[in-house]
Amino acid sequence: MSYIDWGVLIFTLIVIVTYGIYKSRGAKNIDGYLLGNRSLPWYSVCLSVMATQASAITFLSAPGLAYSSGMSFVQFYFGLPLAMIVLCVTFVPIFHRLKVYTAYEYLEQRFDLKTRALTAFLFLIQRGLSTGITIYAPSIILSTILDINTTYTTLVIGGIVVAYTVYGGTKAVSYTQMLQMSIIFCGLFAAGIMVVHLLPGDIGFGKAISIAGKMGRTNAIDFKFDWNNPYTVWSGLIGGFFLQLSYFGTDQSQVGRYLTGASVGQSRLGLLMNGLVKIPMQFLILLIGVLVFTFYQYNKPPVFFNSFELNKLEKSTYNPQLNQLKKDYEKAFQEKQIEVNKLNVALDRQDKPVIDQQRIALKQADEQTKSVRKKVTDLMLENDPHADINDNNYIFLSFVTRYLPKGLIGLLIAIIFLASMGSTASALNSLASTSVIDIYKRLINKDATEENYLKASRWSTVIWGLICIAMALYASKIGNLIEAVNILGSYIYGTILGVFLVAFYLKHVNGRAVFYAAILTEAIVCICGYQKVVAYLWLNLIGCLLVVLLSLLFQLLLKRKLNIEN
Amino acid sequence: MESPKRGQDLPPFVKSWTQFYWLLAGWLVFLILIFYLFTQYFE
Repeated sequence: MSYIDWGVLIFTLIVIVTYGIYKSRGAKNIDGYLLGNRSLPWYSVCLSVMATQASAITFLSAPGLAYSSGMSFVQFYFGLPLAMIVLCVTFVPIFHRLKVYTAYEYLEQRFDLKTRALTAFLFLIQRGLSTGITIYAPSIILSTILDINTTYTTLVIGGIVVAYTVYGGTKAVSYTQMLQMSIIFCGLFAAGIMVVHLLPGDIGFGKAISIAGKMGRTNAIDFKFDWNNPYTVWSGLIGGFFLQLSYFGTDQSQVGRYLTGASVGQSRLGLLMNGLVKIPMQFLILLIGVLVFTFYQYNKPPVFFNSFELNKLEKSTYNPQLNQLKKDYEKAFQEKQIEVNKLNVALDRQDKPVIDQQRIALKQADEQTKSVRKKVTDLMLENDPHADINDNNYIFLSFVTRYLPKGLIGLLIAIIFLASMGSTASALNSLASTSVIDIYKRLINKDATEENYLKASRWSTVIWGLICIAMALYASKIGNLIEAVNILGSYIYGTILGVFLVAFYLKHVNGRAVFYAAILTEAIVCICGYQKVVAYLWLNLIGCLLVVLLSLLFQLLLKRKLNIEN
Repeated sequence: MESPKRGQDLPPFVKSWTQFYWLLAGWLVFLILIFYLFTQYFE
């Protein structure tokens, strides 16, 4: 990176962190520290909710997914607007009316302490693990740029995020997220324009998409019903709905965001606006990945995008084999380029038979390059069985650092940092809220002073920060980051959502029935997930439905037992 | 940031929350349709 890029990166980070800390100074109690005195307007709620969900993973993995397998990932978000509606009708008014700090507080009022403790515990496990992955994502960037192991970069980045979150509390999170999202939108827009600008003179925006489309990268919609495909309209609408509803309705990292709203209306408006803009935003991020794909049809991509792993192989005894594979890759790329040029001409002439012919030829050429890449990753594993052979998260990053102009590189890398900081800060804040409100204040020290609770909140943030950093150090061994986070969520979210739906809609079911139903369901979901019975998105639906059905069944059995005893 | 008043909660382009919910559901259908046309056109 040039000095200009380092300047832009450091300046952006300092300005945003300083602004957040300045605006959040003076939190004197836990209401201010954890919920910002419930005083924020809808646009702050909306941007905060979006920034919490859109982690660095979103900006690293999504373009990489579009590059390697197309745009089908956008369907994952189809359930989100529907989930926003259900949230606004049911969850938001109840949480506001009861003036809760965490979503799990409500469960004690509705059921009992053990149900509250169980859901809080499940949340802490899930969020603790996934925040580790969220911290790991931006550390990839520094490791690639500085050519050092991700372990060191994870430690440095995690440390900065923890320090900033401990000081600022929830207000700092919200204020910085507002600025972060504005910069993210501007930066991505600039990146999109630059990719089109870097394409050959005769390739405009429309033709770039057409070329990618003929190579199977514009598959935004798939109406086929397939239990094992996580990215179809149906899995997005149904499985995605349950995942998003449980994420926004029962995950404290999101509940804590909209509880900062000044009123029910402000929280609602923030969530509904998120429902309006989330899918188009995700579509545009994927579209950037598609444009990068077309760009690499005219410019030879590296044989492997993770330069750290590639350098490791180059320095090993396998270098002669690698050099041979690089020559094969060069040859395969040149052959593919010939086919791409033929397609380009056919598109100009609107010659449908030739276009169809080229589609098949390009598929074969694409397979050829993939086959060489596979041989390279096999070689990497031979050299080091622990090598990270998934380079999806490096595709967009590699493009940014190689081809974008000075200044913009720094800005885009700042975006990755900002996104990660936003979602990590929310997560740490929510982990602290749940630990202090649902465990420390409720079970350990009921009658302490406000000052004591504030201190406990800060210490809790520090401890969770350290745990998440430790988790991040293991994240490098998990394949695609964005999928790993979603898979992890799907194991737990469905169960928690089921408990909340029983609480809201099945008034005759008591705490004992729902508690045992939740435990049994979690065991079944873990077995289904481990055995890969269905695609992971469906685990949300299975978990949720099982809790509801088993609660009804247990309630019936408990009632019968009671009748017999009487 | 000033705390907004309760009466200012609804955006000017809708008259009730129910109307906003229908608008969002309609927006989702519209997006699916647009993406379907996008997929068909470019493939």
